[in-house]
Amino acid sequence: MRISNKEPFNVIVCGAGHAGVEAALAAARMGSRTLLLSGNIDTIGAMSCNPAIGGQAKGHIVREIDALGGEMAINADTTGIQYRLLNSSKGESVQAPRIQSDKKAYQFRLKHTIEHQNNLVLFQATVTGLIFQHGCVVGCKTNLGLDFFGETVVVTTGTFLRGLMHVGQNQNKGGRMGDFSSESLSDSFLEAGIELERLKTGTPPRILGRSIDFVNLEEQPGDEIPTLFAFYDTREQTDLFHVEHSEERKPGWLPGENQVSCWITYTSEKSHGVIQENLSKSAMYSGAIEGAGPRYCPSIEDKIVRFSDKARHRLFLEPEGRNTNEYYINGLSTSLPFDVQEQILETIPGLENAQLMRPAYAVEYDFAPPTQLFASLESKLVENLFFAGQINGTSGYEEAGGQGLLAGINAVKKSRGEDPLILQRHESYIGVLVDDLVTKGTHEPYRMFTSRAEHRLLLNHSSAEIRLSKYVKDSGNISFYRWGRITHKVNAIDKWEPELEKSKSKGGTFAEAVRRGETDIEFPHDFLSETKEIQKEVLYRIRYKGYLNRELRLVERMATVDRIKLPKNFNYSNVRGLRNESAAKLTSIQPLNLGQAKRISGVNPSDISILMVLLESGKLSTVRN
Amino acid sequence: MDNSETFTALSTPHGESAIGIVRCSGQLCKSLASNIFGDHSPTPRLATVSNYKNQKGKFLDQVVYTYLEAEKSYTGDPMLEISCHGNPFVLQNILEDLVERGCRLAQPGEFTQTAFLNGKLDLSQAEAVVDLIKARTDLSFKAAAHQLKGSLSRRVNSLVEALLQIVAEIEAYIDFPEEDLPSEGDSAPCPKLSHLLNEISKLSDTAQTGIFLREGVQAIIVGKPNAGKSSILNRLLGEPRAIVSEEPGTTRDYIEASFFVNPYRINIIDTAGIYETEDLIGKEGIRKTLEQMALSDIIILTIDSSEPPPKFIPNVSKLLLPEKTLVIKNKSDLEPCPKLTGFMKGFPQVILSALKTTGFDQLKNEIRKLLGGPTASEKGDVIAVSARHHTALLKTEDDLKNALSLLESDKPAELVASHLREGIANLETIVGKIDNERMLDKLFAQFCIGK
Ligand SMILES: Nc1nc2c(ncn2[C@@H]2O[C@H](COP(=O)(O)OP(=O)(O)OP(=O)(O)O)[C@@H](O)[C@H]2O)c(=O)[nH]1
Ligand SMILES: [Mg+2]
Repeated sequence: MRISNKEPFNVIVCGAGHAGVEAALAAARMGSRTLLLSGNIDTIGAMSCNPAIGGQAKGHIVREIDALGGEMAINADTTGIQYRLLNSSKGESVQAPRIQSDKKAYQFRLKHTIEHQNNLVLFQATVTGLIFQHGCVVGCKTNLGLDFFGETVVVTTGTFLRGLMHVGQNQNKGGRMGDFSSESLSDSFLEAGIELERLKTGTPPRILGRSIDFVNLEEQPGDEIPTLFAFYDTREQTDLFHVEHSEERKPGWLPGENQVSCWITYTSEKSHGVIQENLSKSAMYSGAIEGAGPRYCPSIEDKIVRFSDKARHRLFLEPEGRNTNEYYINGLSTSLPFDVQEQILETIPGLENAQLMRPAYAVEYDFAPPTQLFASLESKLVENLFFAGQINGTSGYEEAGGQGLLAGINAVKKSRGEDPLILQRHESYIGVLVDDLVTKGTHEPYRMFTSRAEHRLLLNHSSAEIRLSKYVKDSGNISFYRWGRITHKVNAIDKWEPELEKSKSKGGTFAEAVRRGETDIEFPHDFLSETKEIQKEVLYRIRYKGYLNRELRLVERMATVDRIKLPKNFNYSNVRGLRNESAAKLTSIQPLNLGQAKRISGVNPSDISILMVLLESGKLSTVRN
Repeated sequence: MDNSETFTALSTPHGESAIGIVRCSGQLCKSLASNIFGDHSPTPRLATVSNYKNQKGKFLDQVVYTYLEAEKSYTGDPMLEISCHGNPFVLQNILEDLVERGCRLAQPGEFTQTAFLNGKLDLSQAEAVVDLIKARTDLSFKAAAHQLKGSLSRRVNSLVEALLQIVAEIEAYIDFPEEDLPSEGDSAPCPKLSHLLNEISKLSDTAQTGIFLREGVQAIIVGKPNAGKSSILNRLLGEPRAIVSEEPGTTRDYIEASFFVNPYRINIIDTAGIYETEDLIGKEGIRKTLEQMALSDIIILTIDSSEPPPKFIPNVSKLLLPEKTLVIKNKSDLEPCPKLTGFMKGFPQVILSALKTTGFDQLKNEIRKLLGGPTASEKGDVIAVSARHHTALLKTEDDLKNALSLLESDKPAELVASHLREGIANLETIVGKIDNERMLDKLFAQFCIGK
């Protein structure tokens, strides 16, 4: 496949981070001619922040990515150096796997996967602008002077748009230490009428492992039995390392082998003193940074000011890989100057002699407020243009990956004239993520929490495949073989759930025994011979039956408002009765149905009543502008 | 919305009164002022005296009219208010003339509904307006007026804040297992939840007061013949409404009347005395009395304190519930019967004399006490929730109780949270959307998250 071929690609993906990789792989696997552009193809799938994938809610997303045929799950599984199941003492719906990654191995495996993917062209060039025609995007320009044409374009440029890094008062242009930023692409968006705003995020220092004194530090080992992201019960044995149409093995190793530990230490009173003294030198406190930072990931100076009664703050030392001695200090994100960072390290037990390898920095960047998107992640302003990842105001590899996958799938569907895949809030965290983004927007880098999902009991991580894979059944994203196994799994669960409700065990049915919390139930032999995953899901459904049924009823109730369609391209300022704020919000967001309108913040129930009254009387269509 | 329709209605009660006000709302109002009163550019909000002549030129009344522009009017549309003399015949003629000039008669509540649709009122304010129109005593007026100003919303919002705080504490441990949070046992959500439950039930209890304020209190006077029931009624009303005589069995049928025990309007029924009888009419009378006793909010049991204590058949005594029964020992001017001590112990009692008109202030106080709720002298907000709010609060109570019992039995936190969220959803029906961000704000304000 020649790149210079004048025939347009079906899908062009700009940026090969966690969103771009998923978008490109999904598109290519669905059979679309796909081009993946990256300014530096040595940094494919780079982990710019912490060397870990998953955790609460994020781990759920990774499992959903696997269910939809994405790569993140299996890539993290086979390049992990430590595996832990979080919340294992809590209920299953809020448990989640987390994996410490070997950063480089993670990248190599991803690059390798891309290189061996049919229909996919990887090319190194920085995108400098988009090419528009009649309100549609038709391609992009690059720094090489080469233009590329595509039926659809997916933009996944992360924090690189007008990225500005701060270490104290020192400022550098760039989206990540060591990489450059994209300056002119922002202009291209503005030219198309797409609004941009600024966000801020930060990353902690990296230090040299052999300069850490581990003797008095608390060790945090991995779980003996690793919990993985991908669904191996429905995969082929060869899926882990086999490369498509090749005898080659993918890089990576058997999950769980040779795990390494993380280490825990704490800041001290002395550290707090150093920080207090130097507050005015922090880029954030001196006002040098304009963007809004995340509430859930405050800098160390922020933590000390806001929680001044806390005597110490916990820090995790996370190894960045097997073939490097670099450690990431989780919890010590800061925008203080380099020399102050060194002074702080001196006051932390175990880090007294630590050698700084990369200073902590804060980065500011442009994002395109996601309320300018449809739930398919296509721009409302420019047709065929899709956005995914941090450019939409999110944070996190997992949130990016989930969006990238969805954008890739929908870019293909758009190029084929098919209806987009819209994921629902009660079906997946990705659905919650996208709905929150396009209906509410965000003022800080958006991170997923399980508490954002009102139906989280329905979203236990192990049911991701059952919930989602139906959507990619014939797409090429999951193999025919896997689909067969999934069908078997679904059927077996549907069979056993009522079966255990019916059949009698000692003192009632099996199901009742499960709900009473009995541990020594002698299940029928046939049930025990099903896979662990099947048994687990059946028991989950039985244990939480009352709750799950209630959730389903709520979903049904909500679905009725979701079914009430609102007119398209509608100017709500002509609707008498709506408060100005609501009218403006509704006009800018253009909700597709009443349910979505209801979820917009700033739109009150009384506004919804007005819309309902008008829809009811058929008067809403008559106030069209 | 259809802008062309202008509607009109009489906005003072029907019937004879000193003054009657006719209101119109809609785009026609300006041209009405011009056509009826020859005022081609009416000054907004200026009351002007003029003669009302109908389309045929016939003089109907001397009136005061006021034109209101859309921005400043109650409905959010242009309005015309016409105050005339309260003669029903004149008012009828004016309304008919307005209809001939292109207005239509308003649907019940349409002024308020339009105000709501025009964004002039929120839902709970619109409800309050309806109450305000019905309000008859000072305090119920005050309650409705307060709701209109949003004091109910404020009160419910403080409950919402407390609930969000509890949810935030629970969610922190679910969503941030890796964080260095204070040990989970320390946050002790149970006492906070119990306290909140208590607050919610206090608020939902005001629903009864609300109903009393809006619809009045139903009371009944019962007792043996000749105990002085009718005499007491007459004293309460301040007029000789019922016939009084020394003949037992004077009152044969119901007498209904109403009077005020501020802030309540009491609708009272005086009944025939209860006695044992085989007589068909008497039996029917007693059956009806029993029926009314069951329906009443207050039962005033009257006895003649100079006589030995009366005995009642079980059907009667079982209706005399202590929370709604008041015992009056009448005829305190006579020598009291010694056997009366200890009679109906545990019930509120008042000693009075209908003949000498003594003890009536105490009677009114006892009635007020029995009804509970706010008193006119109480300072601050008067809050009485409507039936719709009451239902929502009861549902919230249920959700919180469920959450509490799961917490107490150490069930998974996400199930507790699921009930609490349902509670938040129920409170939303009163105060409007409660965005999850508010919970997250609390969470991040309280806990140092940021591994
Ligand atoms: N001395 C005295 N006599 C009273 C008092 N109240 C009522 N009476 C007299 O008691 C008699 C009965 O009074 P009513 O008010 O007709 O009694 P009632 O309970 O309505 O009687 P019925 O309608 O016949 O059941 C009349 O002669 C009253 O004048 C009181 O406080 N003191
Ligand atoms: Mg009488």
